Order: sequence, then C-alpha cells, then structure tokens
Amino acid sequence: MKLTEDDIYRTSTQYQHWTFTAAQLAAQRLQTNIQASERVRAAVARQRAPRSLKAENASASETERGESGANTPVLAVDREVNCLTVGEEKKLVDTFCKRALDLGDFLKLPIEVTATGVQYMRRFYLLNSPMTYDPQTISRSVIFIASKAEGHHLSVERYASSLPKTTPADILAPEYLITQALRFNYEVRHPFRGLKGGHLELMALAQGKPALLPTATQSAQELQTAMLALPRKPDGPATSMTVAELEKRITDAYGLASHILKTAALLTDAYFLYTPSHIWLSAHLLADEPLTLFYLSTKLPLSSPMHDKLLSTLRACSTLLSSHPISSHPLQTTASAEQQKKEKEEIGALLKKLRQCRDPDKIDLVKLNQAQKRDVTVRVEENGGEGLEESKAKRRKVARERAEREADEFWGPSLKRKDEEGSGGNLEKNGG
Amino acid sequence: MSKAASRVPGGGAAKDEAICPVCKSSRYLNPNMRFLVNPECYHKMCESCVDRIFSHGPAPCPIAGCKRTLRKAKFRTQTFEDLKVEREVDIRRRVARVLNKTEADFETLRDYNDYLETVEEITWNLILKIDVEATEKRLRLYEEAQKAERNITARPYQPDPSLPSEKAQVVLKKGASQRKAVATSAANTPDSRANPQDGEVEKGFNFHGLKKYVPPAPEKPLDPFDGWAIEPQFYVVQDDYDVEWLTQTKNDPVATAGGYDMRDFYSRALCDAFSGFGVFVEDEIEARAKGLSGDANTGTRSAATAALGGKDVNMDDVF
Ligand SMILES: [Zn+2]
Ligand SMILES: [Zn+2]
Repeated sequence: MKLTEDDIYRTSTQYQHWTFTAAQLAAQRLQTNIQASERVRAAVARQRAPRSLKAENASASETERGESGANTPVLAVDREVNCLTVGEEKKLVDTFCKRALDLGDFLKLPIEVTATGVQYMRRFYLLNSPMTYDPQTISRSVIFIASKAEGHHLSVERYASSLPKTTPADILAPEYLITQALRFNYEVRHPFRGLKGGHLELMALAQGKPALLPTATQSAQELQTAMLALPRKPDGPATSMTVAELEKRITDAYGLASHILKTAALLTDAYFLYTPSHIWLSAHLLADEPLTLFYLSTKLPLSSPMHDKLLSTLRACSTLLSSHPISSHPLQTTASAEQQKKEKEEIGALLKKLRQCRDPDKIDLVKLNQAQKRDVTVRVEENGGEGLEESKAKRRKVARERAEREADEFWGPSLKRKDEEGSGGNLEKNGG
Repeated sequence: MSKAASRVPGGGAAKDEAICPVCKSSRYLNPNMRFLVNPECYHKMCESCVDRIFSHGPAPCPIAGCKRTLRKAKFRTQTFEDLKVEREVDIRRRVARVLNKTEADFETLRDYNDYLETVEEITWNLILKIDVEATEKRLRLYEEAQKAERNITARPYQPDPSLPSEKAQVVLKKGASQRKAVATSAANTPDSRANPQDGEVEKGFNFHGLKKYVPPAPEKPLDPFDGWAIEPQFYVVQDDYDVEWLTQTKNDPVATAGGYDMRDFYSRALCDAFSGFGVFVEDEIEARAKGLSGDANTGTRSAATAALGGKDVNMDDVF
C-alpha cells in the first residue's frame, strides 16, 4: 500500500473541509450573507418593538418629559436596515485580514502565526458575517488563537496590553465561537515550507547535483547546462550565466515568491481554491517564470496530460495572486496616494454602513460569553442584568450552591429528582 | 551411604532439630540459629557451621560417613519439614524440566498417558535410587537431543547431586589439571553419543505418538504502519543540500546537540512542496461534492461538505 504526497494532502482537514471550487465559495458566501441579513433584520425588529411602544407612550406624555428619551428610537423605526452585500462583506473581511497581517508585523510574530490567524479569519467569515460578529474583535482574537495553534507562546495579558483599548476578556470572549466556526480544524497548511523545499531542489539543480526522479530523461549535467542558459524573461533571449549568477537568480526568485506568499496569498482566496503546492509554484511563477517552467519540466514531461492542466491551474492561481492590489509586486510602489485615499474612503463608508446593520444581539461578545459561564449572576448584576434572565441565573446559582453544600455532607448530595426545581424539602428528608 | 540415607529421613525428634549435628550448639542457647541443607546430601547443619567450614571454598561434608563435596552457594533453608519430600521435590523439578511435554504434543491421549507413566517411572527410579546412572544418562541425552532439535541454548541437565557419580568424585579436589580432565570428559560425551546406536539410546527416550516438533515461524520485523509506506512521486530527497541559509543551522550546536537531523527538514520541506501537486481542486472537489469520485472516503467527505453547507446551524451560534 503506497501513499503519495498527494494522498497525504488529501488527509488534511484543509483539503477535506476548507477547499472549495470558486462556485462553491461564492454560493457559501451568498448563503452566509442571506442568513445573517435575515437575522439582523429580525433582531432589530425584535428590539424595536418594545421601544416603539415606549416611544408612543412617551409621545403621549411628551409635554412633561421633553424630547430626550423619545426622539432617537422613533427615527430608527422608520428606517429599514440596510444590510451589507456579499461583495461589501468580502471587502471588509479582506480589509481586516490586512489589518491582522499588519498587527502580526507590529507584534513581530512569526509569519506562520499571522498567516494561520488570517486563514482562521477567512474561514470564520465564510460561515459568519461581519454584520453578526465585529471583524475588529475577531481579527484580534484570531491571531491569539493562531499563536497557540502554531506553538508560539504568548500570554493573553501581554497580547491584550499591546493592543489599544483591549482587555484579556475581549480577546478570549470570541475564542470558543471562532473555534467552533473553524470546526476545530486548527491545522492550516501553508506553502512556506514547500517553497523552501523547491528552493533546495533548484539550488541542487543549479549546482549540478540533484537527486533525479527515476523517470528523468536528462542527466544532471544536461539539466545544469540547460538551466544556465535559461532566459531572464519569458520568450527572452537565451543567456549564459555562471553558477553563482544562477544561484543568485534562484535566491532572488525565492525572496520574491516568499513575499507574495506572505502577503497576496494570504489576503486572497488562494488557500480555499488551491493546494499549498500550487500556491507556492504560482508565486514562484510570478517571481521567475522561465525558472519555474524549467523546474516543472524536470518534474513532469511536457507530453504528460497533467502538465497542461497543472500549468493552467498555476496560471489561474498566479492571476489571483497578482490581482491583489497591495502586494503582488513589492518592487514598484504598491498604489498611488490617490488610490490609497480612495481606498480609505471606501473602507470608511463600509465601516459606517456596518455600524448601521450590526446584529444588536451580538455586539457585546464579552457579556454574552460571561452569560454562558457559571458565575453568571455576579456579572449580570454588574452589567445591569441583561445577559441572561436574572431569575433563571439566580435559581441556577442557588441550586449549585446547595449541591456543593450537600456534597460535603456525610452521605453526599441527594439524588436528582424529576421535580428537582423548587423541592426544598429534600434536605430534611435525607439528612437524618 | 546407607547410613547417610537413614539419617536424612530420620530427624523426627524435636531435640534433634534443635541441636546442630556438627557443632552441637542448641537453639536453646542461640534462638536465632538457622539450619541449612545442601541438596548434595541433605545433611542439616547450622548457619555458623556452614560459614565456618565452607567459606573458603568447597569442602567435604562434616557429617561422619558422608564424603560429598559441598559448596556454600548451594546451601539453603529447607522448604519441607521432611527432607525426603524436599529431595523428591528437587528431583521432580529436575525431571520435569527435561520431560516437559504436554497433552497437545501427543497425537492421542493414550500416548500422552503412556508418556506420563514413563516420566513417573523415571522419577521414582531416581527417588528410590534404582538404576540411577543409566537414567541420568538417558535424561541428559534426551535433553541434548531436544536442544539440538529446537536449537535453543538452555541450561544443561544436571544429574542428581545427591547420588554418587564418577563426575562428582573427580571434582572433589580442584586442581587445574583435574578441572581440565572434567572438561574433556564432558566434551567427550557427545562423541560417545554420536556413535550410531539404536535410536532410543541416542536420544535418551523415544516416546510413541509424539508429534513432530514444528519450530515457530520466525517473527516478522515490526511494521508500525501496517504495510503503508509513503512513496513520493515528484521528488527524491538528497542527503544534503548546499544552501547558504542552512549552513548556520547545520553547524549550530543548539540544533545538532539535540539530535536534530537536517534530513527530517529536507524530507518534510519536499513533501510539503509537492503534497497537493497533483490535486486539482476544481476537478476533485466537484467530484467530491457530487459524490461521484471513486474514492473510499467519498462518503465522509461529502458528508463533511454537506455539514459545511450550513445544515448544522447549531454550530454557528454558540450563544
Ligand atoms: Zn553447627
Ligand atoms: Zn553429608
């Protein structure tokens, strides 16, 4: 029984759960958007119902109370919630992915951590909408989860303190939510190490001492000669480089490809649409096309049917990578100032629109998170008793305290009965 | 000899037990006194006598009429009160080590019972000291034959030391030349056996209906992956790569001292480089979604896709 490297990739959760065709991806986003919009509308309507009632009362007694309490809700009732479109959602997510990337740079985290975090973010917003969960909060939490998943220890206090206006609770609150959205699939397969592997092989080829595949038709010597004559540009004139020059060229290509992988590959849908192997090869194709094509020819004969298919896949992927405005070509300045300004305005408008259509139930994640926890009553009192029904929480707490007290007794706590709720007599009956 | 034999079982009286036959000290004076016996002759004596007499190497038994050579290491506390029983148990243990067949080794129950009968006969011959020399020889030969058949290195059969044999007499005085003589005589034994005589003598015993010994099949080397192996299609890992950014790690004692092998990195990097090389998402995922792919995993995969399709709404909403 043999396993190829492709089979190994097929066992990964990234392939099994997080790889899509472009059509599937679009459909999933649309569905998420529709579900989220419906929820937002429903939640807003629910919230407004009592308020508008109150508003009517208020307007009836307007003479005494003045304008202060009543005016704003009345205005809000009239306006239908204007939800984000799929495209706007994606734009927002992309923006916050970029910010997460910048955050990683700022905190000097290893690229694996940031990259994993960004992918978590993209995966999360495949199933959730920015309207439901604030991308700002999620993007911060996601980096923290990634630092744990990638084994880069970072204490939550230190992490939170390096961010403005953030407490550890803010970081931790959406953690479980994100984890569930990720389906507990923490592993993200990055193309970084693959690129290194390719670089190693290219260098061995250049030095004339590669380990050739059993199917190889050319000798190492022939390959080296062919490699030294590779044109600089596609369809360019043949060159004759020295080995040192060739090595420099390979290293340059590595640097460029690596930069693409660290920026554009993360900020596009590449991880959803292509395998890591294809992603790094595409980035390398962008960085040095003749070199990459030559490398592929040592792996697959030109006559192989897979070759064309692979090449078209790689070209599609490299188009996707280079389509990203920010970082496909780091050598030229990324965007003109005017473009940047326009971009900024666009984002600003989107954020403003987002504020109008947030799901009101999900704004305070910290409170929601605490409401789930055991010591809910204390927090609920602090926060004005909104997180959970107060009476229910209190009852839960009383029951728990009683169970704890009884557990200390000689015969242990009484057995649970069906009419457990409110049967206070248990203690006397069993205690003797 | 007969005297010694009569004394061995003779120790019935309680006062005998309490007084050492060698130094005549009694337990009355020394409550911590322990008696030891040596399976050579089963003569009892106290611990301090053993220390005194045998500390400087083998010496003859101090009991009158017993000339056996005893070694300190063989002395032990007796398990059974009756030394006769003690001796019988020793003999049975020795015989059972050689004649160790089970019912499964025989073709019929009848054959097995016959075998048990023979074993019992041999045992009693040894216990009652009938025909000892011949029996011991047969046992030894049988063990050798078994060993040769199974090709194992077991401890050689030791004849009953409580019975006289020419060998025991030879060892009495330990000179180098004599020891050599013993060694050669031991070496000669197989030669005498090698003479083609009739089968029974050669193998010691010949039991009817004994199944032929089938050596167990040699154990296969452990395969932790149950036959699975990773066979890369698109790369061949080299032992070393000459790349500048690796030299520092290669020579870094922090990395090398821990036993980090650069080849692990090479094979992992290359595996990463090509895992997914031949996976075309558009084709495979399409097939997966439609459940058309011939893969064994189709079921679970399409189930996973279905799950991703938003059907498990519960997951989306924790709060
Ligand atoms: Zn004594
Ligand atoms: Zn003796």
